[in-house]
Amino acid sequence: MSEFEAYRSLFVAESRENHENLVKNLLIIEKGSDPEAIGEIFRSIHTLKGASASMGFAHLEHLCHTMEDVFQLIRNGSAAMTQDLGNLLLSCSDMIEEMLDDIEGGGDSSSLNPEENITALKAWLGGQQSGSPAAGATPAGKNVVTKAAAAAEKSGKSSPEPEQPAAIPGDSRPVFDIRIIVANECLMKDVRALLAVNNLESLGTILFSNPTKDQLDEGTCDGTVLVRIASDAGEDALKTAAQGSEIAAVEIAPAGTPVSEGTAASPVGPSPANGGEKSGTPKAAAPVQDKAREVKNLRVDIHQLDHIMNLVEDLVINRGRLKQIADEHKIKEMDEAIGMVERSVADLQNLMMTIRMIPLNHIFNRLPRVVRDVAQYDGKEVEFVIEGGDTELDRSVMDGLNDPLLHLIRNAVNHGIEAPDVREKAGKPRKGFVRLSAHRDRDNVIIELSDDGAGINVEKVKNKAVERGLISKEQAAGLNTDDAIELLFQPGFSTADKITDISGRGVGLDVVRRAIESLKGTVRVESTMGKGSRFELLLPPTMAIVDVMIVRISGKRVAIPINSIIEVANFQKDATHQIGKNETILLREEVIQISRLDDMFGNSSDCTVLVVVQYQKRKCSVPVDVVEGKQEVVVKPLSGFIGNIRGISGLTILGDGDVVPVLDVNTMM
Amino acid sequence: MGKILIVDDTLFMRTLLKNILFTGGHTIIGEAGDGSEAVEKYKELKPDLVTMDVVMPKMNGIEALKAIKALDPAARVVMCTAVGQEQMVKLAIKTGARGYIVKPFQAPKVLEEVKNVLAT
Repeated sequence: MSEFEAYRSLFVAESRENHENLVKNLLIIEKGSDPEAIGEIFRSIHTLKGASASMGFAHLEHLCHTMEDVFQLIRNGSAAMTQDLGNLLLSCSDMIEEMLDDIEGGGDSSSLNPEENITALKAWLGGQQSGSPAAGATPAGKNVVTKAAAAAEKSGKSSPEPEQPAAIPGDSRPVFDIRIIVANECLMKDVRALLAVNNLESLGTILFSNPTKDQLDEGTCDGTVLVRIASDAGEDALKTAAQGSEIAAVEIAPAGTPVSEGTAASPVGPSPANGGEKSGTPKAAAPVQDKAREVKNLRVDIHQLDHIMNLVEDLVINRGRLKQIADEHKIKEMDEAIGMVERSVADLQNLMMTIRMIPLNHIFNRLPRVVRDVAQYDGKEVEFVIEGGDTELDRSVMDGLNDPLLHLIRNAVNHGIEAPDVREKAGKPRKGFVRLSAHRDRDNVIIELSDDGAGINVEKVKNKAVERGLISKEQAAGLNTDDAIELLFQPGFSTADKITDISGRGVGLDVVRRAIESLKGTVRVESTMGKGSRFELLLPPTMAIVDVMIVRISGKRVAIPINSIIEVANFQKDATHQIGKNETILLREEVIQISRLDDMFGNSSDCTVLVVVQYQKRKCSVPVDVVEGKQEVVVKPLSGFIGNIRGISGLTILGDGDVVPVLDVNTMM
Repeated sequence: MGKILIVDDTLFMRTLLKNILFTGGHTIIGEAGDGSEAVEKYKELKPDLVTMDVVMPKMNGIEALKAIKALDPAARVVMCTAVGQEQMVKLAIKTGARGYIVKPFQAPKVLEEVKNVLAT
């Protein structure tokens, strides 16, 4: 076990892939027979079994082995996939995942007990065997062969029977009788024997063998094979051919001379083995140089990547600093050098960004299982389609996306899709449709989740909000559809009539929104009663390095992300108007709200510039004293001590060491 | 000692096998992750011996063995197998595999088999 310790992380990584593949294809065969999917399942479970055996994780191996037996019956068509079997196999897959978690944490899977799963699988297998006569016949048939082989073996203890051909007429090659004894510890004696017979066959014509090749092929062999062969390869060559690993002894004698136990005394033949080693010695120095060119892919610990990313971020900050020093002192040579550094840092930064990108399939692949479970629990029928899973996202964004996405998917099935009967009455197909798609749109990754379910009942939402005391009856009456939907994102709002196992876990859409906003993303919902809902998540592909405009508000520096700025204009104070409580300005014939950030940065009376920012379709403008310039900065998230502050996405350190808040336009509005 | 091409769809198994063979003094001249890649690598690298996994995506070990044997009837291919796959290995042997090793691999057994097959 300890000798394989070095392979643990590799084992876990690949086994997780296999586990994922297993679950994915299980869901496919559950819908109907699919030879390709069952082939994939077989490969995955087989690989899992082999790898866990190699690592010495006996519990995991045992579970995989039993599952493989079940898949075997499904593959050869003697058993059909049912929902119960699907549930059993999926719960076994869950156990595999738990075991992998345990192994990843340094355990050996023995702390988890798969006995219950294995017993259930065996019970199923037992039912199959007693139920189908075809399955029961196999062991009996095998027995017959074994008996036949044993009988043949007995008769073969003496030299081959006289009625066996002694030679081929007209063939002048010498004929030998060879007895091959397979080592006792050999796990597949008949395979080893077959291999020896095959090797002999390549040197001559086999006149007789006991057991025959067909018998070896069909059944078991207890370890001894007699072969009569016509060959002019010579005794030594024949002996070498028959001799191999796990062959305890090879006795050879010209036909007619009985092969005695005595002539065979020598154990595993040392002569060819030693010869092989000697001839190979001069080559022994070669491996090192040849090995070097083979390494093309490396697996790197994600923490190391994070660390490199941090270093790159530091480089970006210090590059800014150097640039500032060079500008201040007007040192031309330094300027050039910094230019070079700048280019390298930019390349390095891009490279690191690319390395950290992983396809969304990484989390998408788990979702079909979620949909299936929720649908089954609720007694619904759902077709789930995933598109664009190869769209890439930064790992840190991906990490935060899993839970909110899971929640939205659960919601779509749990609250969105109606029960089959209800759908039928509404003139829809019994099977609901949920589609998850992702694509890249300029600087953003857009993830859409749509369903053809009941849609959001705006009146119900309003009533609930009033009931929960979130708004008054009068306010509710004045709300339009968009505003009502917005209520869903209020903390403590849930329209589920009762708490279910599936989506009523005390987590509402407010948590989803907060999670997505913490990734610098946004959530948008569109819904039509009776037709379905569509959630759109807009995410930045990476979140670490951002282009910002540095401005001053009441003397303090603030960074505003460039991608949310749509215009920078002169601030004409006399053009402002008061509409209700809001201060607005007429800009290019459009009324735009003014958002003074006095409470954040202090009262500023001498604003000369207006920065117009946009979030989704809503615009707003921020009066600032002055624009200092554009810069690429590293946004560091606010620490746990400070917590989330609406309006501020993080902090950045500028070249001169100034710590500057980065404005979060999305949450600011 | 020989130049060996390792064929297995998992990096884990390849790494395991590579270290065993390397420790035994062999040269690993290449690796392939499925059957068709194995055939391509065989043409390109002309190894002395191939260790061939049976269950692989795209093209399995038996098909790859057939293709390699068609290219080079003298090819030495050792099948990597597991208990329960006897029929597959037998098929492989009839197709021309020269040896087999059983998972979980035991270094001495792997090295012995490879040595014996290289000697033929």
